[in-house]
Amino acid sequence: MRNEIELEAIIEDYLSGKLTADEQKAFEQLRNNDPIVDHKVVAHKVFLESMKQYADILLLKEQMDSAHHQLDVAAISAKVKPHSSKIVRIWRNNKSAIAIAASFLILAMVMLYSIQNQSKQDGSFEALNREVSQIKRSQNNLIRNINTKVQNTNIASAKFGGSGFAISSNGYILTNYHVIKDADSIYVQNSKGTSFKAKRFYTDPVNDIAILKINDSSFDQLGSLPYSIKKAGAGIGEIVYTLGYPKDDVVLGDGYISSKTGLNGDTLAYQVAIPVNPGNSGGPLLDNAGNIVGVINGKENKTDGAAFAVKSRYIVEAVNSIPQDSLNKRIPYGKRSQLQGLKRNKQVEKMQDYVFMIKVY
Amino acid sequence: MSIKLSSSVPTDREVVLGILNNSEEALNKLYTGYYPMVLQFILNNNGGEDDAKDVYQEAIIVLYNKIKGGNFELSSKLKTYLYSVSRRIWLKKLTQQSKKTNNIADFEDVLTVDEDVEHHEQKDMQFDKMKVALESLGEPCKTIIEDFYIHSLSMHDICEKFGYTNTDNAKTQKYKCLQRLKKLFFSSIK
Repeated sequence: MRNEIELEAIIEDYLSGKLTADEQKAFEQLRNNDPIVDHKVVAHKVFLESMKQYADILLLKEQMDSAHHQLDVAAISAKVKPHSSKIVRIWRNNKSAIAIAASFLILAMVMLYSIQNQSKQDGSFEALNREVSQIKRSQNNLIRNINTKVQNTNIASAKFGGSGFAISSNGYILTNYHVIKDADSIYVQNSKGTSFKAKRFYTDPVNDIAILKINDSSFDQLGSLPYSIKKAGAGIGEIVYTLGYPKDDVVLGDGYISSKTGLNGDTLAYQVAIPVNPGNSGGPLLDNAGNIVGVINGKENKTDGAAFAVKSRYIVEAVNSIPQDSLNKRIPYGKRSQLQGLKRNKQVEKMQDYVFMIKVY
Repeated sequence: MSIKLSSSVPTDREVVLGILNNSEEALNKLYTGYYPMVLQFILNNNGGEDDAKDVYQEAIIVLYNKIKGGNFELSSKLKTYLYSVSRRIWLKKLTQQSKKTNNIADFEDVLTVDEDVEHHEQKDMQFDKMKVALESLGEPCKTIIEDFYIHSLSMHDICEKFGYTNTDNAKTQKYKCLQRLKKLFFSSIK
């Protein structure tokens, strides 16, 4: 027991460097020779280190506690604690998020402002655009260039072609203004292939409407017109069809009204989802009941299946602008058409005699 | 809205040198300087003043051990370091209490201090073991050991304090206490 205590004391002195050089040397010898002593030294060293750390931290904690006492914790926490007001708390917790949101808001407002400014510019641009689009339209107009087709024949051939339809039985034909705009002479050809000379009688460049009068002695009166004009506007989704002359024979096109406005919001026209080709210009656009709702006058070159048709209201205006006594059995407005209730093929059969190809030289 | 720290905050160099020299004044300045920052963080993240004190003191111990360990490089501000360590410790505590740790409200930049905190946890475990061992030692052993190893009293002082008839008796008593403590301490380690 005594020896154990002595050994422990020596180990402790050894580890804390209190032994003299000789004693240290002797002890190291002992340690080397006796594994039990060596083990005790190592164990005690670990223990002392742990104890020292424990002491250090304990002291540190004491010091920190005394430092803590100097603090006025209540005052500080009153300053930094979550504010009782929810708004302030949200503000403190989400400062960065709010900052981001605010900058977005500002950005959005700036953009909105600039868009508004832009749309002002757009207005003037649109007006310009309309001019351009008019040029474009004249290029895109469904005027069939049949120049090349009959080039070799010696017979004078038509430069352009379009379609038109009778608005009275005594030879008044309605077509698009752009079809006959540059005409030297105009001929209309019926479905049987007979041509009649015609002259322009009325033109309305704004609505792209022209009325021709057949001025040919070989022309007989037509029967009473099977279709009528619908004065009211057609709704989106209304099934419509058109007859026209994109080729030498009459062609039926079928579709529906897709928008109440035409190119760039043009209120004079409908947008119609209908397959049309050069030559369809001036063709009547009819609803299922055989009422004319418009006149095909163009299509957009960039969008598929977007054709445009002048609204029937402007047809009525055009018809009204010519002396009524010169129209024999003119096209009826808002009446029940003869075509109503007929199947499509019967309607076409009855109608095709009243739809003409317009040939322009 | 972050709270303006008082101008008595010591420079980082002062703190490091002060801790290396065991200066209580430097520790005091450090402690009072950054306490509001950590308090603000804890109070705003589901904690109370006591939590803040515990977490903050642990963070300072981490810093203290790091400086004393000699491998401390001033790669960031002490303020940022303390904040990051406190934050990490508090998040761990929140997770242990299975409280939500998403949506943490931050007030400072945050460093990655996972390694330091884990290292600290191991040391803290040792600290706790020593504490437990000492507690279970009972009196008078606990006081004798603490007086000798922590308060650095000499055997002579201890002999007088506890009224032993001679130093040898005191030494024998201390020896017995020490053996028991070692046993308690090492058995809890293994």
